Amino acid sequence: MSADHTRDPCPIVILNDFGGAFAMGAIGGCVWHGIKGFRNSPYGERSYGALSAIKARAPVVGGNFGVWGGLFSTFDCAVKAVRKREDPWNAVIAGFFVGGALAIRGGWKHTRNSAITCACLLGVFEGVGMMMQRLQAQPTMAPQYPEEPVQLAA
Amino acid sequence: MSWLFGKSSSSQTDDASLKQTLGFDPKEVTDVHAMIQSPNLYTASQLHPLAGLEKGVEYLDLEDEKLNAVEGSQGIIPSRSWSDDLCYGTGAVYLLGLGLGGAYGLQEGVKNIPANAPPKLKLNTVLNHITKRGPFLGNSAGVLALTYNLIDSSIDAIRDKHDDYNSVAAGALAGALFKSSAGVKPMFYASALMALGAGAWCGIKRAFNSNTEPQALV
Repeated sequence: MSADHTRDPCPIVILNDFGGAFAMGAIGGCVWHGIKGFRNSPYGERSYGALSAIKARAPVVGGNFGVWGGLFSTFDCAVKAVRKREDPWNAVIAGFFVGGALAIRGGWKHTRNSAITCACLLGVFEGVGMMMQRLQAQPTMAPQYPEEPVQLAA
Repeated sequence: MSWLFGKSSSSQTDDASLKQTLGFDPKEVTDVHAMIQSPNLYTASQLHPLAGLEKGVEYLDLEDEKLNAVEGSQGIIPSRSWSDDLCYGTGAVYLLGLGLGGAYGLQEGVKNIPANAPPKLKLNTVLNHITKRGPFLGNSAGVLALTYNLIDSSIDAIRDKHDDYNSVAAGALAGALFKSSAGVKPMFYASALMALGAGAWCGIKRAFNSNTEPQALV
């Protein structure tokens, strides 16, 4: 059987995820802050407002997405290397570490809460992903047998 | 007692089964030369009948690992498509910017540590400087790389091939777009700098590729 060739092997995939998440965040941030800046500007300055909002905020959104995605990929690889298996729990554990690492400057309580929240979120994502996978898979239908004629009692 | 002393030399092993396992009849073989020349020994179906070797290479098997088909697009690491180039390029440049900015912020923070402050405050000062410089440089570099890669891939798709001119042009356009709202002069400077950077990157790529596989230079 062929392996999953849509993703690269582990150490280098971190770079890919960093870039992918950054690109997603930056492009999504352009749309989001473009609309927001457009709506929040007075008439006559709307396009300028949209442009300056994009310039100021879209890279930041991209950076936040990128750091999250890159850290997640790093932790995912680390967890894979330690556990030596691939299952949905990897993502949950990696999410726990990411949430903790990103909130570590806010103090012990904040770190703990953020880690647990992030792990739960990733757990939900994984669960939804598995459900979608099961939905998209070929459903195994029971064959329809013709109904047997009822045996008449003698 | 055969289990203890072994069987007496029984020559009952029928020749047919021996021929089946060896692929040749040992009675006919007198020396290696005759063995090699015996027919049907090295036919693919004889060697491994289940592998289906007589069918030749099955191209269906190779479909999964298809690489980027644009001419001259193979860089340092194999890439499948423009989105791979985009992700790797952006990620690498972003990380580089983040690291450089972080290092600059680190030395700035170390220089600005307040005298006789508690260690927590000292650490916070340094971290604040790092997180001020690192993400800023990283974000700017990342956006530049993102724009560059998008334009580069677009030009590749239009021209249907990739070469150094594409890269330099994409760099110039990306730099101009990046500074397009700051006026003509900064725009020109950014464009020239980015074109230079793209040219340098092409040089690095060429040097690397000629080191590893000299015949694959495009």
